[in-house]
Amino acid sequence: MDKVYSVTQINLYIKDMFIRDYALNNIYIKGEVSNCKYHTSGHIYFTLKDEKGQMAAVMFAGQRSGLKFRLEEGQSVIVLGSISVYERDGKYQLYAREILLDGSGVLYQKFEELKRNLEGEGLFSKEYKKTIPMYPKKIGIVTARTGAAIQDIINIISRRNPYIQLILYPALVQGEGAAKSIMKGIGILDKMELDTIIVGRGGGSIEDLWAFNEEIVARAIFDCHTPIISAVGHETDTTISDFVSDLRAPTPSAAAELATNNINDLYTKIYDYNVTLNHILKRKISLYRSLLEQKKLKLEHSSPIYQIRQKRQHLMDYEEKLGNLISDIIKEKRHSLAIYIEKLNGLSPIAKLNKGYALISDGENNIVNSIDKIKVEDTIKVSMLDGDILAKVEELNGRRRV
Amino acid sequence: MAKNEKTLEDSFEELENIISKLEDSDTNLDDSFKLYNQGVQLLKICNDSIDKIEKKIILLNENGESDEL
Repeated sequence: MDKVYSVTQINLYIKDMFIRDYALNNIYIKGEVSNCKYHTSGHIYFTLKDEKGQMAAVMFAGQRSGLKFRLEEGQSVIVLGSISVYERDGKYQLYAREILLDGSGVLYQKFEELKRNLEGEGLFSKEYKKTIPMYPKKIGIVTARTGAAIQDIINIISRRNPYIQLILYPALVQGEGAAKSIMKGIGILDKMELDTIIVGRGGGSIEDLWAFNEEIVARAIFDCHTPIISAVGHETDTTISDFVSDLRAPTPSAAAELATNNINDLYTKIYDYNVTLNHILKRKISLYRSLLEQKKLKLEHSSPIYQIRQKRQHLMDYEEKLGNLISDIIKEKRHSLAIYIEKLNGLSPIAKLNKGYALISDGENNIVNSIDKIKVEDTIKVSMLDGDILAKVEELNGRRRV
Repeated sequence: MAKNEKTLEDSFEELENIISKLEDSDTNLDDSFKLYNQGVQLLKICNDSIDKIEKKIILLNENGESDEL
């Protein structure tokens, strides 16, 4: 008893052994699930067992992305993880990183491997992706002759654009020979000078969809000169065909939509172009028309005829102004005259005759306004309003009036 | 698809070009008329290129020979 170790030391030592073992750190283990407990912390504790043995296993909450389904009792699964020691209990257990349902597990590995290889070869590169024509006339379809997929595609395409020619290569889409049949269909349709080819099928299990994960199908899609839309299963199913095709559609129906334009949209588009063209030209013409109108006005204004007319107009304006002025002046003068006349009327001697005054004139009709202008014995005329009196001067008496 | 035939995509692209030239105020009236004429021609081509015959699906047999459905 040279050296005595504590339990913890031994447990640590054993743990260290596990950690050093590369294989145990990255291992796939197949078994049946039992004693499965989803802990509130998010960790999942379960036991993996087969006919002869069992092993404790845990998947920590942080690894839960590696589990795509609900883990349940009795499931056959493949667990990827590492084996290590839980020191407290002195037990080893499996620390799961990824859990796959068995069956799909093997396929999944194949899928991953092929995906990696083809990706490495560049088969998924964007530079090889062909554009899907927007206005196809002929569309090829590789799918089962019966089933929902072809019905959905026919319905949608004939609704959106009944003038598109559909050509169906009826392929086996699952089971023995499916991959070959799909490959052959793609090859045949590729020679028919089509605008687009839809390759796909409706939903199913991963085994059902498997043909679309086969290398020969992937290569047929890659080698095809016609743009290919893949449409395999449901939205959540992803196959190698989806990666290598020019466009991935989530479902066959979606592929039908993506492959076609709506004929009504096309008519509308053509109509709109027509309207736009007419509108622009009309606008342009009216613009030129108004320009022309402007130039015409400008030209008219600068022509000598216009100048003369303009000057004549000015002249007439002046003439009118002058005429108005003079007539105003005349009117005013006439008015003043009338006032004078009125005033004069008030001063007229005739008017005074009324009031007992008389006008005296001599024989030659000279007004006699002084005794110096007359002699005794002269005949004078005394004019009154209603007649004249002829009289003889008898006496002249001078008188000084102030 | 028949070769040497203008695709709708090409025609639409050309129409867009014509329209933007027409909209350019520097384009004179003569050129505008020419452009307009081209545009109308293109529209006619577009319309004519839509094959308005409803199609029945062609069903190929395994060897790619067609039997109409």
